[in-house]
Amino acid sequence: MILVIAEQRSGTLNRATWETVAAAQQLAAASGPAAEAIAIVALGSQIDGVAAELAAAQVSEVVTIDDPALALYTPDGYTAALQQVIAELAPTLVLLPHTYQTRDFAPKLAARLERALITDATAVKPGSSGPVFVRSMFQGKLTADVAAHGPEPHVVTFQIGAFRGDQAGRGPAPAPIRAIHVTIDAAAIRQTPEAPFQEAKQSVDLSQAERIVSVGRGIKGQEHLPLARQLADALGAELGASRPICDAGWLPMDRQVGSSGQTVAPKVYVALGISGAIQHLVGMKGSNVVVAINKDPDAPIFEIADYGIVGDLFEVVPAMIAALKT
Amino acid sequence: MSTLVLWLVLVLSIGVFAAQVATRVRLILAAPNTFSFDHIGLRARRFLLDVIFQRQTIAERPAAGLAHALVFWGFVAFAGYTTTEFLDGLGIVDLTQTAWFAGYRLVLTGFAVAVLAGIGYLLVRRAFVRPVGLGTTVSAESIAIGLFIATLMVTFLLTYRLADESTAGRINWWVHAIVILAFLALIPASKHFHLLLSPITIFLKSPTLGHVRNLDFEKEEVGLETVKDLGSKMALDAFTCVECGRCQVNCPAWGAGKELNPKTIILQTQAALLAGDREARLAQAYTEKALWQCTTCGACENQCPVGIEHLPILIGARRGLVSNGDAPEYLGAVYNHLERRGNIWGLGYDQRQKFVESAALETFDPAQHDVLVWLGCAGAFEADYQKSMRSLFEILRARGIRFGVLAKERCTGDPAKRTGNEYMYQELATGNIADLKAAGPKKILTSCPHCVKTIGDDYRQFGYDVEIVHSAVFVDELLRGRPAKAATGDAPGGSVTFHDPCYLGRYAGKVDEPRRLLTQFGGDIAEPERNRENPFCCGAGGGLLFADKEEEPGTRISDVRFKQLRETGAGTVVTACPFCSIMLKGAHASAGAAGGDVQFVDLMTYVKDRL
Repeated sequence: MILVIAEQRSGTLNRATWETVAAAQQLAAASGPAAEAIAIVALGSQIDGVAAELAAAQVSEVVTIDDPALALYTPDGYTAALQQVIAELAPTLVLLPHTYQTRDFAPKLAARLERALITDATAVKPGSSGPVFVRSMFQGKLTADVAAHGPEPHVVTFQIGAFRGDQAGRGPAPAPIRAIHVTIDAAAIRQTPEAPFQEAKQSVDLSQAERIVSVGRGIKGQEHLPLARQLADALGAELGASRPICDAGWLPMDRQVGSSGQTVAPKVYVALGISGAIQHLVGMKGSNVVVAINKDPDAPIFEIADYGIVGDLFEVVPAMIAALKT
Repeated sequence: MSTLVLWLVLVLSIGVFAAQVATRVRLILAAPNTFSFDHIGLRARRFLLDVIFQRQTIAERPAAGLAHALVFWGFVAFAGYTTTEFLDGLGIVDLTQTAWFAGYRLVLTGFAVAVLAGIGYLLVRRAFVRPVGLGTTVSAESIAIGLFIATLMVTFLLTYRLADESTAGRINWWVHAIVILAFLALIPASKHFHLLLSPITIFLKSPTLGHVRNLDFEKEEVGLETVKDLGSKMALDAFTCVECGRCQVNCPAWGAGKELNPKTIILQTQAALLAGDREARLAQAYTEKALWQCTTCGACENQCPVGIEHLPILIGARRGLVSNGDAPEYLGAVYNHLERRGNIWGLGYDQRQKFVESAALETFDPAQHDVLVWLGCAGAFEADYQKSMRSLFEILRARGIRFGVLAKERCTGDPAKRTGNEYMYQELATGNIADLKAAGPKKILTSCPHCVKTIGDDYRQFGYDVEIVHSAVFVDELLRGRPAKAATGDAPGGSVTFHDPCYLGRYAGKVDEPRRLLTQFGGDIAEPERNRENPFCCGAGGGLLFADKEEEPGTRISDVRFKQLRETGAGTVVTACPFCSIMLKGAHASAGAAGGDVQFVDLMTYVKDRL
């Protein structure tokens, strides 16, 4: 059996959990004609909502550990709880998303179990004796194929974004949810968590946006911004801007992308009337797909665009909006 | 009796003078020795021009400078007179009755009138005109010294009217003597210490602008952390400062309304030394914010009439901060990019390769190529600047110049060096030097003035000596006498203005070559305020290319410079540095409609379109 450890905070599921479910499903499918069962374990306090959400996955069951001592994350509490669950379920693999929280407790958990740990894996390959995990080394200069030695279960964490959460298989009917009771000695938890820290966030956090429509000087006037906004709405995107737009006060500073604003890495970045000064490019070069619309065929933005449209944005954008709405 | 009194006053005055000088000399000698005597010929030449002929003092402020020169020459001329009179007054020897002395006095009369005119002008300027560089308050001490000098001249001239042995004559003599001795006692603790120190400081000033010595990691040097790290030349600089404010009024950061004032940095250094705590942290003596506002444009150091070097102090203090992990956040990203990708943008190496292939560049081979073209971070990665590089290649090919590029380049390390990340600078520099030595070019050509300074000057400290020229200089020589034709395509013509890059105009002194090219190819140059060897920086240098997030509204150096260029009325701004181009285009874009219809074009593209 493959066990996926879900990550939640205050009843909100970390989306990266779905990526780990997808990884588990791929491993299960590759394990042979009799696909291995998958269980997801969620731990915390009052996590029925999270469990119900996870039950949509195509897995054999969702296990919950609901204990007041787990209301706030502590490495000691999590390790104690998970150690008991793993002993009870006896999985062959324990999978986690490589989040900051995982980085904190996964080594401790593996050490407690005296089992191998492979971190930050980006892919899975079949091997002669069990799966082989791919991870990068030396700051991405090399990729290594790593197989775990020693008795099962092996603990593996997956790089965020290595698998697609939206492609995790959903079951025809919700998976059964089973509560497992564990005993946690509150006195043995050495950490005292503070209330979760909420950073005074910029009102717009473009760095987390999946899609961004960004406007530059080609938009000509503040009165044309609604056009860009309509495109953003049609795409479900956030609105960004280059420096001149924010300098002119047409959009607030927290919408600014580039070396003088936010560094973004969305899946889709649509640049409207942005010439692509290097100071802007360095702020969005991590975007997956760049779509550029500009009148000037020599605009530097086309050098890095995946799709370029040389044309008047006042003609192109309405056509795009119309196409998206049909 | 009067002889005895004079002896007493003289001993007292010299005692006060000597005690104060000793304090300062001890501080200078206690500092790690950074005095250098290389290029003795250049130093002697500068001494002659800047000390004897007061070139630097006059050049920037002709009226005040000339007035100062008159006072200075008068002081020198009067040295023999003062000595002779004191020898007499002290009863040692009386030479005042010789024919030689009578003639000397006659000559001095002309000097005395000139000094009076000079000091009179300077007093009015200081007390009533009050230029901003002299500070917000009128210095009582400076007024007193000015009046002292005037008194000396008046009492000298009065000797013609008053008989030596009359009461009035005696009083006149004593006033003259006492003023001299009072002046002497005031010198060391005031900015008038420059009378004695500035000739030495000017001689010891590095012949190259912005010369910042490499750190020696074997000796565990980390830069300026505490007062005891200040070098002997820095200490000398601190006590030499005459507080004229030339550095201040020429500083682009100060000019844009930022906190940095180079004069304040020097006076803070002086105060930190005099405070006597050698373990005091320099980050507290200065303010970190001001230290990070320096673009290393070199205006302060280049304008200083008394030989002060500001950049070693500013960059040294940055090194002290960086070695403690106290660099500003935006530099963290830059350092990451330099470390992982070897370029300032953090772009992948394949992008340079793409450009090299699309521009059909060959790998440099000394047997086949005349010059090695150094692309630099901008040429290798910045799409906009690559157009200028293609223009340069076209010009070179048209004239049959055979050139190649290195298979791989790192950033020269300029941003690391100027922001005080010395370790990273040396890593990049030594790597590049190894590659350059292996390639073996006799001449390197680049369009980046920062690369010219770093490879051509800074790399010498590693023993790598190569000729590197900026494209403006190379192409000027290449196309001398070639006819121009009307511009092709949409290239603008007519009135142009040229923005001198600091690292080309000020550092390399190449100001005529770009202008000659512009004129030769039909440009009608409208000169902006602050041009040639003293341009106003675009704001990009010293790592500040990446700092505009930090800039407070209304204090962007690039906006100030763009406005100056705009005011020339020229429709085309010609640049010759990738970073100036980025900054000024940014300022133009941000100015919106107020920026007007201005075209930016790199010098190489300007020429290529008209060749």
